[in-house]
Amino acid sequence: MAGLTLEHLYKRYDNSGKKKKTVNDYAVKDLNLVCEQGEFVAFLGPSGCGKTTTLRMIAGLEEITQGNIYIGDRLVNELHPKDRHIGLAFEDYAMYPPLNVYGNVAFNLRAKGVDKNEIDRRVREIAPLMQIDDLLDKMPVKLSGGQKQRVNIARAIIREPELLLMDEPLSHLDGKARQAMRVEIKRLINKIKCTTIYVTHDQLEAMSLADKIAIINFGVLQQFGTPTEVYDDPVNEFVASFIGEPPMNILETTIIKADGKFYFTFKDSNLHIAVPKRYYSVVSDGFRCKMGVRPMDVLVGGPDSDGTPEEIATFENLGDERRIGIHVGDVLLMLITEDEKRYKRGDIIKLEVREEKTHLFDIETGDRIREK
Amino acid sequence: MKTGKQRALNILMNVLLIIYAIFALFPLVWMILISFKSDTEVFTTTFIFHPTLSNYQQVLLRSDYARYIRDSLIVSGGAVLVSIIVGVPAAYALARYNFARKEELAFQILSYKFAPEILVVLPLFMIYQKLGLYDSYIGLIWVYQLISLPLLIWVVRGYFEDISVEIEYAAQVDGYSWYQIFFKMLVPLIKPGLVSSALLAFIFAWNSFTFPLILASSKVYPVTVAITKYLGTDSAHYGQLAVAATVSAIPAMVFALCIQKHLVRGLSFGAVKG
Repeated sequence: MAGLTLEHLYKRYDNSGKKKKTVNDYAVKDLNLVCEQGEFVAFLGPSGCGKTTTLRMIAGLEEITQGNIYIGDRLVNELHPKDRHIGLAFEDYAMYPPLNVYGNVAFNLRAKGVDKNEIDRRVREIAPLMQIDDLLDKMPVKLSGGQKQRVNIARAIIREPELLLMDEPLSHLDGKARQAMRVEIKRLINKIKCTTIYVTHDQLEAMSLADKIAIINFGVLQQFGTPTEVYDDPVNEFVASFIGEPPMNILETTIIKADGKFYFTFKDSNLHIAVPKRYYSVVSDGFRCKMGVRPMDVLVGGPDSDGTPEEIATFENLGDERRIGIHVGDVLLMLITEDEKRYKRGDIIKLEVREEKTHLFDIETGDRIREK
Repeated sequence: MKTGKQRALNILMNVLLIIYAIFALFPLVWMILISFKSDTEVFTTTFIFHPTLSNYQQVLLRSDYARYIRDSLIVSGGAVLVSIIVGVPAAYALARYNFARKEELAFQILSYKFAPEILVVLPLFMIYQKLGLYDSYIGLIWVYQLISLPLLIWVVRGYFEDISVEIEYAAQVDGYSWYQIFFKMLVPLIKPGLVSSALLAFIFAWNSFTFPLILASSKVYPVTVAITKYLGTDSAHYGQLAVAATVSAIPAMVFALCIQKHLVRGLSFGAVKG
């Protein structure tokens, strides 16, 4: 087991063959990251953001344009994948079709020339852990997606890697299998306590599995922190909108001053929300920015609330929670309420916002504006 | 009721297949029949005649027929061998790598099969004369690439495309070098496609007539050209012609029967499913 350190990592694809030259042809840009021994780190980002490229560079399947990768304190830049002591679980399972499950799991050890009895012992040890005991004689084509993924992961961990890499292991599974497998992975990782990098575009997977999340967009690391940190304290608009389901409400706002107090006001809407006191040092009359607040933190005020009355545009009852949508200009502001009342379209409610959960973002850069 | 319907359908299908088989095999049977007839009986259309082996004796023992077969084997086999050596890496590159004008290149390779041989054979004749390739094994093997290479590249490329890149990555992480991956993992996976396309390429090369007729003369003499010798200006030995044709068809038929299973599967399915 070992930690992982990425130092000023760059990946640039040679676009000379293509007709169109793209301006941003760095797939990964100045990525710095330290992942402690035994930590489970999720690389999270939309497709094409460079997370899989980074994973491949760590695995040694992709050349590094610039920068350093350390596994433990070994510099692995130039090492062949097999010498990096990694286990890799693939998105497409990548099973060897002519071999049965046993052969697939044992392949790595056989390639290394491990003793036959030792191989057998280790396969028999891993199989119950991944619940593939009954499948060992089957051929890959006969397996379901979930089973293939179990074998795939078994194959990655049988070599007892210092670093376990998983490339979107759940993305080809359907809803139920996906959930089951997620629990499975959590259980497995708790058991083998291996440093793990887990690539995903699903924030739910990242939030539920990871000790730390690295959110990547356009090849640039946006934020690296625990699930709670990235959820409660996003560094910019991208992170704020990417984490959480439904996503954070982010509204363009102009701040006005009335009676010595600041208020958020919105275009084509009479909604106004008091600006939390802690922001008074950074805002001014006419200041434009974006305001972000999670749907859970927008509340329906009681009858004596001094919130602005607003008309409900959409109402969804999801059983254990209810989602209300309200038009603020041309944006739909979502709020989630757990109270039992069934609203309908056109009902008037009073909106309140949890002040301590309100975030401000720069209107141009999307960076978080913090209170001073 | 349903089974009765199915049975009727089954019988009908089989009858149709048998009719087609007769239709397809008749020329072959007719050729073999003629090969056993004496020249005087060639033109009778009845199936009753006095079988004779004299044609076989004449062709196999008293002519250079063995040499023609050998020449055919050398040029066709050589052509397929070169196609495999060149075509498999080419197919891999076309399937795996992205480079400028990739599709155009692939299509250009395919387009070599479009041009009628007779169209290109005269310029080739002049070039071959100048280069000293005229009437040589290498010359014919080279020109046969027009026939065998596009077929092989396109079939094998499809197989490579069906193999997930991740299998290669997995093997790399498992400690294989690129060459080991290629020969131990990929080649077995493309084998059905490779075998069947190589066989087809061999048959096409074997049957090629225009190229050897124009681009070779006395030193290299494939059977397709040799057969024409039995049609003289003054006489036509149809019996011997039929023997030559029958014998020349044997290698292709033997190959096809041997790998029949591969042939159908190889050309109709992808390499890897799941």
